[in-house]
Amino acid sequence: MSSAENVSGKGEPIISVRHLSKSFGKHEVLKDIDFNVYKGDVTTIIGASGSGKSTLLRCINLLETPTSGAILYHSENVADKSVDAPQYRSHVGMVFQSFNLFANMNVLDNCMVGQKKVLHRSAEEAQANAMKYLKHVGMDSYIKARPRQLSGGQKQRVAIARALAMDPEILLFDEPTSALDPEMVGEVLTVMDTLAKEGMTMIVVTHEMAFARDISSQVVYMNQGVICEQGSPEEVFGNPQQEATKEFLKRFIRG
Amino acid sequence: MNRFSLLLQDISSLWAKYGSTYLGGIERTLILALVATAIGCLIGFVCGILQTIPIRENDPAVKKFFLGLIRAIIRIYVEVFRGTPMILQAVFIFYGLPYFSNNALQFKNKWLVSILVVSINTGAYMAESVRGGIISVDPGQTEGAMAIGMNHFQTMTSVILPQAIRNIMPQIGNNYIINLKDTSVMFIIGFSDFFAVHKSVAGATFIYFPSAVIEMAGYLCMTLVASLLLRIVERKMEGSSDYELVQGDQLTMTAGNYNYHKPKDPGSADAIALEREDSLKKGDDRS
Repeated sequence: MSSAENVSGKGEPIISVRHLSKSFGKHEVLKDIDFNVYKGDVTTIIGASGSGKSTLLRCINLLETPTSGAILYHSENVADKSVDAPQYRSHVGMVFQSFNLFANMNVLDNCMVGQKKVLHRSAEEAQANAMKYLKHVGMDSYIKARPRQLSGGQKQRVAIARALAMDPEILLFDEPTSALDPEMVGEVLTVMDTLAKEGMTMIVVTHEMAFARDISSQVVYMNQGVICEQGSPEEVFGNPQQEATKEFLKRFIRG
Repeated sequence: MNRFSLLLQDISSLWAKYGSTYLGGIERTLILALVATAIGCLIGFVCGILQTIPIRENDPAVKKFFLGLIRAIIRIYVEVFRGTPMILQAVFIFYGLPYFSNNALQFKNKWLVSILVVSINTGAYMAESVRGGIISVDPGQTEGAMAIGMNHFQTMTSVILPQAIRNIMPQIGNNYIINLKDTSVMFIIGFSDFFAVHKSVAGATFIYFPSAVIEMAGYLCMTLVASLLLRIVERKMEGSSDYELVQGDQLTMTAGNYNYHKPKDPGSADAIALEREDSLKKGDDRS
């Protein structure tokens, strides 16, 4: 495991999680989590259900308040109470398992509202930017549709466009394909694959092992609230060191 | 049949003489119910929104205290006005002010006190309806809004309230219809609404039943029209379910079932990982 202070020649990390812990009441969900995300990194977090993957991601976006430890965003500790959380979140996009599109708006407005309200962009500018990313995810034909009229995969692609339209520095994905029917998984992963190739910095919590292996620059295996193993996909998938990782991968691939 | 023709005769003679009085009563009832429901909704929205401001564990103590205080005050308001009869509230307020001010202050305007009582009453019910409407909107959408950097106020006005209002439209209609009927209790403080017209007409003519028939028909007309209008408004808010499609969705058609196996160069790290996976599949565990 590389320590948080490790200088890897990639410059300063965008996000640096240091000694992060999170408890819900007496139940400690995350224990002393440490890892760095550099520009252009695709970090996938894998692990069994209940291992704390989603909680970790939600802490990074401050949807959960960490119990202790620090989350450094360009060296500024955003876990600090004095930090303007909405301002920080506007730089960190998030895509949810259950899409969380705004049901009262059509596809285009979903992608424009944040730009207008938070970034104070003009309607024309917001629309042009929204259209650019909707085109990118192949949803530009559906700008007038309501979320309830779309399939799961289409909703998730709109959600990705909504996050991208804010021009975030880093994008977080919380099990983006877990709520989808099998035939819709492909379209979402294709979009994510394209983003990764374009150099988008991403942290992806996923159960799609083949996908994690193929697009990651860094794989984090979590087990019972701690980072059990961390490294390149070749290291983690090809030659896991920890007994728990071997067990997990074996079980996973056997289905 | 004799009785029915007599009834018709009585009604027409009553209407000929007091028709404009009845219509005046209808007008006052409609206005009172409409104004009071509107103000009541406003009160309800303010209370409902204030009640649903989240108190977070890392909020400053002052904020926690004030939010707690506001919640307590609203709770008391709702419980008191929902838990006592409106007719009594009217008496309480109408006679309470002169009593405490030793007759120096009085409600000169029956309109004012009637609107006040009915609005406050409606507000107490609407506060709960609005709260329900807000918490019924999927919390995921709140998170979705937070995740793109919207603050609580922006989330409320752009995402939650438009949906909450749609959800509580039937409740607003309910309250309006209830108010149309229940404003009749304002006769107790001398407000001459539609029902008070019946009392005065019947008192002057001693023709009770035919007047009651006119009243029944009048109230039913008012509520039926209100129901109809509400349905129309609700349908308008639902919006059209049509949308234009510029062209087909390429990704859905081409991506198909997910099968993520890129062609590999033999000997590359990826290929090794694949082999590893294959051997694991066969149960050939090297560990």
